[in-house]
Amino acid sequence: MLNKLLFKNQDLKQLVIAVIGAFLGITFLITSIHYLIKVNEFGKGSEILGPNTVIVQKKVSNSTSLNMTKTDFSENEIKKYKEMPFILDVKPVTSNNFDVSFETADPMVPRFRTDVFIQTVDPKFLDVKSKKWHWKEGDKFVPIIMPREFLVMLNTFMSAQDIPQISDELAKDINFKFTLKNDTGKEWVDARIIGFTNEVSSILVPESFMEYGNLKYTTGKEKKITQIMIEGKESEFGLVEEMLNEYGLETKASQMIVGRLKSVVGTLFLVVLGISIIAVFVSGLVLIQYMQLLMSRNAYEVRTLLRIGFPPKDIIKSFFTYFVKIFGIVAALGLGTFFIFKFFLDAMFESGGLYIDTQISLTAIVTLVFSYVLFGFASYRTAKKGIFRQY
Amino acid sequence: MKIVLDHIMPVPLASIQHSAESIWGNFVELNDREKILLNASSGKGKSTFTLTTIGLRNDYKGKITYNGEDIRTFTPDDWAKIRQDKIAVVFQDLQLFPNLTVAENLLLKNSLNHVYSEKELIHLLERLEIDNKWTQSCGLLSMGQQQRVAIIRALCQPFELILLDEPFSHLDEENTQRCIAMINERCNELNAGFVLTSLGDTHQFNYDKELKL
Repeated sequence: MLNKLLFKNQDLKQLVIAVIGAFLGITFLITSIHYLIKVNEFGKGSEILGPNTVIVQKKVSNSTSLNMTKTDFSENEIKKYKEMPFILDVKPVTSNNFDVSFETADPMVPRFRTDVFIQTVDPKFLDVKSKKWHWKEGDKFVPIIMPREFLVMLNTFMSAQDIPQISDELAKDINFKFTLKNDTGKEWVDARIIGFTNEVSSILVPESFMEYGNLKYTTGKEKKITQIMIEGKESEFGLVEEMLNEYGLETKASQMIVGRLKSVVGTLFLVVLGISIIAVFVSGLVLIQYMQLLMSRNAYEVRTLLRIGFPPKDIIKSFFTYFVKIFGIVAALGLGTFFIFKFFLDAMFESGGLYIDTQISLTAIVTLVFSYVLFGFASYRTAKKGIFRQY
Repeated sequence: MKIVLDHIMPVPLASIQHSAESIWGNFVELNDREKILLNASSGKGKSTFTLTTIGLRNDYKGKITYNGEDIRTFTPDDWAKIRQDKIAVVFQDLQLFPNLTVAENLLLKNSLNHVYSEKELIHLLERLEIDNKWTQSCGLLSMGQQQRVAIIRALCQPFELILLDEPFSHLDEENTQRCIAMINERCNELNAGFVLTSLGDTHQFNYDKELKL
């Protein structure tokens, strides 16, 4: 009966407009947050480098070949890149400063030996989930991450030897060994492949192994930084690309294409997200204003209820519950519409070759809950203020 | 409940000359179970007395206490509790909900304490000869009919005192007598008192005390 008294006298047109605005805002808010996260996660885990990370080196030109310009990075250059607003971090890629060769050491595989170049990167930049990715002196073997081209080369070699080619998984069971040496000593260390990469062109080893080799078998030559890792901010990959061009740096084209694609799609969703936040905010504001209007239209009723003994909290609860229910319905409808959108958008992305994760983003749901709680809080405050004004 | 008006002077009435026996500016006690007539001509502050005593107006000097407690210290929740089961009021402007039916007006108030059943409420209306208005909107009733609904609504709660602000101004003598009998009966039932404001008419009732403004 209290609801009949307080909510009979309404301007439904204004309520419908506010509800439609909130519904659209909520729908696009969840949709844009979900896809913004999914697009940024695209490629994550499938490669060893973290998202938005590239390995760069200086472009080799005729002048560098003639030793007129340098191809190594100075500390100042690294510091300068790091200070750029669209860059999160820059770290050098450490290379071996000792002679190292790599060979098969398995009776099932013909002997294959080559001098190699090994590298290591700051673990912060790596997205390696394997627990095997660590090494200390005395360990049975060194875990390594191989460039995929190496497996192709190995299979070509196997094929030429009339030996069956090997798969990724099989390659991880083959025993290899490193020979570390300098003028005074030599050491063999067993190695096992734990993963492959398309992003790095050399064999990657744990940092501790590199430090061990560089310390024990150092050639004594000056150690130059010829490659660095750059982690750009999400959706600002275009700026990283511009900076690479400006400073004559280069990276693998595949890394840039993925980054660029993510940047473009991410920016689009960021724009939609911005508009959605404004829409949700404005529609929430309209709903709150509508509540104020409703309370002022029912000022006599509220005042009389207080005069005949209704506790203020009961009247506040009536207004609060009514509007929280409305927003709850709006949120549920928005969520339902998001699922419909998702069904079509996932199919669109898939047919466009962008295989993004189809699981619901938790952040999108948390945002919805947060918006709901925020609206609930604002409704309660407005109802309380409005009721006590009639006191 | 003992109510004390300790030298109360409403600000809008401060410039008016009040008689020596007026409650304004004097020390007045409203004791338990007292049936009081507050007699005054228009503009002397009968409604101001009702609204000030029930805490709806704060523009006064002096102090009002309920059982020794200054009413200015009461919170909105305290007032809700007092208006629910300590002091009932029939307002001069009735304060009914015109868009609700008679039934809804009574049942809404009754929902706070569940004092009467629906059948009992209809019986009360019947005693005042308006039981046929049960489903009619209050806004469509005559002033006399509305006054009777307002009186019954005020009785739909436990109370220790009922303030009646010119409650019979639109009623004929017969209906006034019916109403005053009903109010008196309810007060006796609850061991409660009342303050009835009037323009001079005593309604042929034997009051315990008469106050003047």
